[in-house]
Amino acid sequence: MVKLWKGIVVGLVVLAFVGGLGLGLAQEKVKLVIAGRDGVYGQALELASNLYMEENPDVDITLLKLPYASLYEKLVIALREKTGAYDVVMLDDVWATEFMSQGWLKDLEAMGFVADPDFVGKALAVGRYPYPDGRLYGVPFVGNVELFAYRKDLFAKYDLPRPETWLDVLEAAITIDLKEPEVKGIVFRGVKGNPIVTGFLPIFWAFGAEIIDEAGEPQVDSPQAIAALKFFLKLKRYAPEGVETYNASEVRDALQQGEVAIAIEVWPAWVPALDDPEVSKVVGKVEIIPAPGLITAPAPLIGIWLLGIAADAKQPGVALDFLKFISSAEIQKRLALEVGLPPTRTSIYRDEEVIAKYRWYPAQLEALEASKPRPRITQWAQVEAILGDYLQLALIGALSPEEALREANAKIAEALGG
Amino acid sequence: MSALYQRQRAFQILLLLPALLLLFTLTVYPLVDVIYHSFYDYDYIKGTKRFIGLENYHKLLGNRFFLRSVQNTVVFSVVATAAEVLLGLGLALLLGWPFRGRRYVIPLMIFPMMISTMVVSAIWRAWFHYDFGFLNFVLRSLGLGGVRWLFDPDLALFSIVLVDVWQWTPLAFLILLAGLQSIPQELYEAARVDGASGVSLFRHITLPLIRSHLLLATLLRTVDTFKLFDKVYALTGGGPGLATETISMHIYREGFKFFNLGAASAASVVMIGVVGALAAIYAWQILRRQAQ
Repeated sequence: MVKLWKGIVVGLVVLAFVGGLGLGLAQEKVKLVIAGRDGVYGQALELASNLYMEENPDVDITLLKLPYASLYEKLVIALREKTGAYDVVMLDDVWATEFMSQGWLKDLEAMGFVADPDFVGKALAVGRYPYPDGRLYGVPFVGNVELFAYRKDLFAKYDLPRPETWLDVLEAAITIDLKEPEVKGIVFRGVKGNPIVTGFLPIFWAFGAEIIDEAGEPQVDSPQAIAALKFFLKLKRYAPEGVETYNASEVRDALQQGEVAIAIEVWPAWVPALDDPEVSKVVGKVEIIPAPGLITAPAPLIGIWLLGIAADAKQPGVALDFLKFISSAEIQKRLALEVGLPPTRTSIYRDEEVIAKYRWYPAQLEALEASKPRPRITQWAQVEAILGDYLQLALIGALSPEEALREANAKIAEALGG
Repeated sequence: MSALYQRQRAFQILLLLPALLLLFTLTVYPLVDVIYHSFYDYDYIKGTKRFIGLENYHKLLGNRFFLRSVQNTVVFSVVATAAEVLLGLGLALLLGWPFRGRRYVIPLMIFPMMISTMVVSAIWRAWFHYDFGFLNFVLRSLGLGGVRWLFDPDLALFSIVLVDVWQWTPLAFLILLAGLQSIPQELYEAARVDGASGVSLFRHITLPLIRSHLLLATLLRTVDTFKLFDKVYALTGGGPGLATETISMHIYREGFKFFNLGAASAASVVMIGVVGALAAIYAWQILRRQAQ
């Protein structure tokens, strides 16, 4: 009897082991690791990952949602050291040249990705190296472009035209600042570094200035650049006190609370809140358009987020399949409608259901098509930081525009030379 | 006897070995590595490394941003540490004696230092807002004008000092409170019998007996304030202009935004040198006192 019981117990143990092993083998999933951004972009990645896993139950996605600076640091270290930590990586288009030139990303077209013509051309171009028609290393995922916002009710009240040039902008800012005691004329991000540079670049370009010429030499102290900075300082006179410390949240708040008439820089992700009566006092009163031009045609700054595959990815095949899935028109539409992610496909911007929800999408597409990327150089982070430092020194009056840009140019030349 | 002593000695070293290895891996090796790389032009992204001797240090001395960041860091460190230790001492003297509700007041006092610095910075950033901030609201309610807390180049650094004092005075308070409570009451009683006044008691008993606690609080706050980074990052980004640039911000930018590890290492060596010297002075003072 004891022997019988022993036999049953041993049999059950063996059965459980074999069964467990079989179950384990059956459930062994392919692990895909994605390094992406936090916030709205992270929500979009999460939604897309869940949809992908529903369709592909054999894939298990680990999604890392990281702040901007942290994502950059982790990507640089992981990709340079070839740790194989990430399969799919999300990158700002200003990092693209650096990452692509170092061979840190896979050539997507060589792997079988087809960049169909529905992608906005300017958005697709920043994913190519050499820019704009080289090999494709990044699929455009977020169709970010700098937009311009103004209070159409106040413009109508004072019979001001829709701003077509920066001179129109200045005139409108002066008029409203003088006549509306509770409303300042204009607002922008004045914090040094990326914020002030991003706000200033459309003006800089509209004045015909360039950061780097075709020979690769810095030109931020050209007469056009100095004229652009002097104009920027004129605009500051009609901005709120302390605009030097304004970052995204202050600009958004000022616009939403009806404290300013014009914002020279708004991003697609900020816009929906303007029409949300729970947080906005200016529902339906703000018009969103591409940035104005002046000497040159309007040149809104493009800020695409790309998705690429790490050169040392452990699951390149699954990663490619995921990129095809997340960049498809069907998923882009869902991400736009459910999370508010700015698409990168023309068809989504023209989709009536999407436009019914986001009235400014036609203007956003117009801005994307007219947009201009930041210089495609490997040292952009350094150039931007230098320019940002000196722009703010000019903004607070510590240096004259000429001095600030001359010093900035010398430092940029040194950085590029290095 | 000698063999036994040697065996005991070997055993002691064996026990210490893991700690020494950890110390070497986490402290000595990185320190030597930083000093080594400070003599190189090291672009981490490109992977290029070239020996350039003292050029990184030479460039630092000619860099107005770095020089201003050293000046700002020293000013911040001195002002914030002095304010925190003095306020901490005042609070410890005020709350160091038994009173009703003490068990509620003291935890409340140390609450600011338990909040994340980024949260503290976000709260103060809102309070500092020129038009809608709490501080200017109070000032305007009193009939005074608004203050340009974060965008006046002469004031911005001191606004950050204010935030640091709010957050870290409780640490100095706790250290000094512990010091005060370690003083035997008999000393005060004896001195009072001899006719000593309150000021004399403080000068001749309290102050000498909490001297090592004062030095410890000063050392901890000096070293910490010297590393100032997160508050500046969240409140001003180093601006306006150069007003709140600090050495840590400079190192972060060179090291983790540009990945110029040689330049970042040189700036780090300067910082380590200054902090190390300060720490050595304080440590020497504390040890000398203990020896006496």
